[in-house]
Amino acid sequence: MINHHPDANMLVEYASGSLPWALSISVSAHMQLCSQCRAKHQQLSMLGGACLDDAPSENVEEDSFARLMGRIESSKNTAQKSAVKVPQSKDVQTKQLPKVVQKLLPDNLQWRRVSSALKMARLTTGQEQYEVAFHKISKGGKVVEHDHKGLEVTLVLEGSFSDEGGVYQRGDFIVREPGQTHRPTATLDQDCLCLSVCEAPVAVTGWLGKVINPFLSIRPA
Amino acid sequence: MSISTTHQIGEKRTDAWSDLLGRVGKQQDQQAFKALFDHFAPLIKGFCLNNTNQGFGSDCAEEIVQEVMLKVWQKAPSYDPSKAAASTWIYTVMRNARIDLIRRNKRHQTDSDPVDVDDLWDDDSETGPVIQFQKLRDQEVIKESFTVLPSEQRQALTEVYMKGKSHSEVAIETGLPLGTVKSRVRMGLQKIEAYLGAKAARTQS
Repeated sequence: MINHHPDANMLVEYASGSLPWALSISVSAHMQLCSQCRAKHQQLSMLGGACLDDAPSENVEEDSFARLMGRIESSKNTAQKSAVKVPQSKDVQTKQLPKVVQKLLPDNLQWRRVSSALKMARLTTGQEQYEVAFHKISKGGKVVEHDHKGLEVTLVLEGSFSDEGGVYQRGDFIVREPGQTHRPTATLDQDCLCLSVCEAPVAVTGWLGKVINPFLSIRPA
Repeated sequence: MSISTTHQIGEKRTDAWSDLLGRVGKQQDQQAFKALFDHFAPLIKGFCLNNTNQGFGSDCAEEIVQEVMLKVWQKAPSYDPSKAAASTWIYTVMRNARIDLIRRNKRHQTDSDPVDVDDLWDDDSETGPVIQFQKLRDQEVIKESFTVLPSEQRQALTEVYMKGKSHSEVAIETGLPLGTVKSRVRMGLQKIEAYLGAKAARTQS
């Protein structure tokens, strides 16, 4: 049961195409796990369709249709030439991941140890504003308490974790604003894998922060 | 209780544009495509010119019309008239083309990008038959509901959709606090949903 969803504002921005690329990836991945948000998104697309119906009509250039048919003709030829890409499953475990996340997986994922309980692997997504990464908390592991200097979205992909705000399971979509500190702990039964999208470096609070913070630079990719 | 038991599937209606789009998909019907083009191309152009946020000039809007209608032709075989009205389906094709164009202009996109716009806005995800059927009726009701919204809510939603603006961009442009923009959008959506719910209740009783 998924209890945490992107809010209506974020879904609208996604549906109308103004949500930044990296956040759109997280919303898209969530929707592949959440039929409720898929249905909402359909309604929002219909609203877009209604806006298109009501758009002010502007005459197109006279040769517009002829040019288009010319392009269609020539694209037919190239379309036949190009080989069909066969999606490859890079790892048996990846079958559980939302399609869009599977596509983000590089051939060899580089895991980096952040602390004894936390590993992370950065993902390349084709934008420069957010860092997109996998975070894996080992079962029962605690992550040091941290603050956020920008927006942070976490989507639970496997396992579950909890913090002061509740327990989060596969499909849950959690948004943290700057100033919200939290201390996630994975449940005991299995490791917890999350997709995270961060706007700015997370800041470790407390004495440990003085030691760790200089190493926590984000690298959007 | 599913909606499909109260309404006959055979009762479903498609509008003329959806029929035409279906024919383009099934038979590559060029005449149907020309009719669709004549109707939708000027709307797409108007929509994009309205999109002041991206600074689309007339040339650019013309280019988007070409891109969108090319994609409409290419993707039409996957169009299912029982799932979405033509205007909604074309809207999603247009939205994706706009995102694509903006990304290409910003040089964000390279061939090595692991995901492209159709991966992120994937409308192929299965939805149950009930939802699919409901979708068709909702389309008409949503259009109605839009006209009964208070003007400030309608305006906020229009800014977001027609002009492709994020909430913070709308806030900057209108001088309204971000929270106000967000709540107008949210309340507008709630009203639309309530309107849909009321209609559904009436048709079931």
